[in-house]
Amino acid sequence: MTNGKIKNLLTKKIVILDGATGTELQKKGMPAGACPESWCLENPQVIKDIHVSYQQAGAQIVYTCTFGANRFKLQQYGVKDNVHQVNRKLAQLAKQACGKKTLVAGDIGPTGLFIEPFGKLPFEEAVDAFKEQVRGLIDGGCDLIVIETMIDIQETRAALLAVKEIKDIFTIVSMTYEEDAHTLSGTDPVSALITLQSLGADAVGCNCSTGPEKMVDLIAAMKPYATVPLTAKPNAGVPRLENGKTVFDMEAKAFAAFGRKLAAAGANMLGGCCGTTPEHIKKLAQITAGIKPKPPLIKSISALSSARRFLLLDKNKPLFIVGERINPTGKKALQQELMEGKTSLIRQMALEQEKQGASLLDINIGQPGIDEVKTIKTVVGLLSTVSRLPLVIDSSRIETIEAALRLYPGRMLINSISGETQKMVRLLPLAAKYGAMFILLPLTKGEIPQTAKKREMVIKNIFAKAKTFGLTKDNFVVDCLVMAVASDFKAAKETLATLKWCEEIFNSKTILGLSNVSFGMPGRPWLNAAFLAMAQYLGLTMAIANPASTEIMNIKMAGEVLTSKDRAAQSFIEYFSAPAAGSNPAAAKALTLEEKITGAIVEGNRENITNLIKTALSSGSSALEIVNKVMIPAIVSVGSLYEKKIYFLPQLMAAAETMKSGIDYLDPYLKKVSAANKGKIILATVEGDIHDIGKNIVALLLKNYGYNVIDLGKDVSSHAIIEIAKKENPDVIGLSALMTTTMVNMKEVITLARATGVKTDFLIGGAVVTDAYAQSIGAYYAKDGVEAVKVVDKLIKK
Amino acid sequence: MESSVYLEKIAIAPPTAKIYQRLGFKKKTTQLSASKQKETDGYIEEAVSLILLQGSFLRLSIDNNDGKSITFSGGLKFASAKLSAFLRDCMEAALLGATAGNAIMKAIVEKTSQGNLTAAVVYDATASEMTDAALDWIMDYLNQLIRREGKTLLPRRFSAGYADFDLKNQKAIYQKLQMEKIGVTITDKFILLPEKSVTAVCGICG
Repeated sequence: MTNGKIKNLLTKKIVILDGATGTELQKKGMPAGACPESWCLENPQVIKDIHVSYQQAGAQIVYTCTFGANRFKLQQYGVKDNVHQVNRKLAQLAKQACGKKTLVAGDIGPTGLFIEPFGKLPFEEAVDAFKEQVRGLIDGGCDLIVIETMIDIQETRAALLAVKEIKDIFTIVSMTYEEDAHTLSGTDPVSALITLQSLGADAVGCNCSTGPEKMVDLIAAMKPYATVPLTAKPNAGVPRLENGKTVFDMEAKAFAAFGRKLAAAGANMLGGCCGTTPEHIKKLAQITAGIKPKPPLIKSISALSSARRFLLLDKNKPLFIVGERINPTGKKALQQELMEGKTSLIRQMALEQEKQGASLLDINIGQPGIDEVKTIKTVVGLLSTVSRLPLVIDSSRIETIEAALRLYPGRMLINSISGETQKMVRLLPLAAKYGAMFILLPLTKGEIPQTAKKREMVIKNIFAKAKTFGLTKDNFVVDCLVMAVASDFKAAKETLATLKWCEEIFNSKTILGLSNVSFGMPGRPWLNAAFLAMAQYLGLTMAIANPASTEIMNIKMAGEVLTSKDRAAQSFIEYFSAPAAGSNPAAAKALTLEEKITGAIVEGNRENITNLIKTALSSGSSALEIVNKVMIPAIVSVGSLYEKKIYFLPQLMAAAETMKSGIDYLDPYLKKVSAANKGKIILATVEGDIHDIGKNIVALLLKNYGYNVIDLGKDVSSHAIIEIAKKENPDVIGLSALMTTTMVNMKEVITLARATGVKTDFLIGGAVVTDAYAQSIGAYYAKDGVEAVKVVDKLIKK
Repeated sequence: MESSVYLEKIAIAPPTAKIYQRLGFKKKTTQLSASKQKETDGYIEEAVSLILLQGSFLRLSIDNNDGKSITFSGGLKFASAKLSAFLRDCMEAALLGATAGNAIMKAIVEKTSQGNLTAAVVYDATASEMTDAALDWIMDYLNQLIRREGKTLLPRRFSAGYADFDLKNQKAIYQKLQMEKIGVTITDKFILLPEKSVTAVCGICG
């Protein structure tokens, strides 16, 4: 059966896949903890019977029992047999069982390891391991391959590349999604689909994890973007525990009823995973017989993806900004960092650009003196984990581009492929192999076509060559070539004419490297912004720019309203309505100085407090008055808001820090008037306990209320606490502990205190401490910092 | 199958709602201005960028469970009636460990010493919740692995230091998981360092 014949079958009917193998093997006597592959080789008739039972139930494709037949999994079971042999023999058993009527899919499951950049297993080692398995499956006669139950997009890519690098064989790729419609590694089904179908998967889908109901939603989510058939192989419901046994209790009839819904959502191949039986498959085959499958709705797609996000390059979507900052040209600090093999600046630039509104990140690490291939692998690995944005690989070196494409767990954009023959013949096959999109750069023989007409010719030529590799207009965006108006006053007009032609005649997506237009001119931000507005009007898809530029981002937002891409101007209104953090001009204007100080503390406005206090002092208020009549009441009201849960901890802390800034400023004035301390408090987290955040909160609040706090830190021995208590003679000793095991040390401190004649009151607190425990050891208790202040107040007044 | 599996980069979204709850946020009561929410979210984001979640797990078969103590393959034994009851339906169990790493703890100390306790408490809550979420993630992952064997993890887990499962048992769990490989150490008082590190035991049924 050729790939073409399988594809033909998919146009005619819903293709039925088999059901669970593992649970069937257990029913037939496979002991717990046994390696299924080894056990099947020792009991060949059992697995053959299972294959036949699914064939008889109506499955047109059965899976080999090789889900865990990779070197890593087999090693875990201590299986020393040759991986190739295990796979070949099990494939042969399936072929023998099914004859010619039913297709056999060589089944590949996860290794159980995480692959770089998400784990330590080198990507190429994973590819090699899968190749070992694939060779065995193909030699055993498999008609197609299925990669299934994958949770990690990178491991899935490794397996798919392994298959495609060995043979052009029909390959189904299926991932497993949690209740939140993401894999455990955080990939959503559409991002996975975009990555995998562009990398050469012949069918994409989902299996395991959920029951069929949730899978209807997953298939429906993928269908509009799928260029390949979709598969669904749900469990027989969600597993539950019954008397210590795992039970899948969706009956065959109920399970099969979802076959119609799955087909209606767009699934082309249906089967069952954990808990399903031949009966489930039989009913599924019956209920879907005669249903005409929905073919893929599109033939190609202009979309990019990362491991955790996809980007659809639709003409109706707002303009995408490609963040341009990760480029060492003119950036000495970045150059230095790259030379030293460090990546902290790159990480920072990526996160900043994402925050500033970039939709993609351009990555250029080209500079003399570094190993570009090694560096790009490090950078792509880093950015794949820290940023959700799809990446644009920007390099003049083909090796660098290939290394990035191979490792990146998404669909990348290559920047760029020009009309230079050498580059076209090497880069276009790479774009095709890895399913990457590319920026079509209309340069040829090192020359820049000056006019739009000449650029059109080059664009058509590159496209013609791209078509020979199976690439379509959805696979690229055209760079309309931005040249400096300083050297050619017609340059911008030619670029815009090229853009207009691409949008209206050639019908392709477009991109501009904006800032080139203003090179050598003053007022560059304004030239860039004006140019962007004109290009936006003509339908520009994306712009390479610095998202930190206010002019660019403001014009982009405005342009989207004026070109009807921001419906009802929602994004524009949100963007321009956001008040500056902390500003509240309406509230500020009518307030007295005292109210402003109160407001600053209550709102936790640390920036203003010192200036307000300065003003209050210069207008005649005394330091003591400011503290007692304004600041203390303010912090008391914050405590009250916290107790009522109207404030939560960060608000309480911000208010306390604001208060502390004010008190620190007033400290010299207070000393002058001999402002008495309210009392002396020793605080410590007891021995054996290293948790001190709660104790630190209490210390800050007590200081704000005028107490002299001696903070001994954490993991402090009983003897150390008592020694200092004898020396300092505090009014109260506060002890903190987070754990039941360290809480007992509080008693030890108090016992030691009493035994050595220290009569000071103890206040205790911490996550596991209770009022009852406090009473039992002769201490007072406070549930949080605010209450601690009240208790201390009472103890000092008594 | 007695070798620990290491998970060097556990990538999970911060459980923002749980972080807010931990900080005392009450949905219908707490009043939070847009700027304070932005500030809090910003601290959470900073904390997330400093947290490197790593974990490990180890499957062990249960050789004996007499209701008072439990013995695992390889001779590991815990005396705890509560743990024995928790695992009564299981033939197997998993030891689990996770850490948020050192960088976040250093940052908490740094923020505290700079007087920015607001950031410190948000960092602390984020690290705590993310470490806990990492254990949830490991359980989900393990569930994926064992589902094919017709097995399921118990929905809850049990940690040393709770009920009659003495904290000193954390040392044996730590050693079995070889948590030093993910940068965790244990004190002579059985406390894991960095502070935001956790271990647990979970049952495997089926």
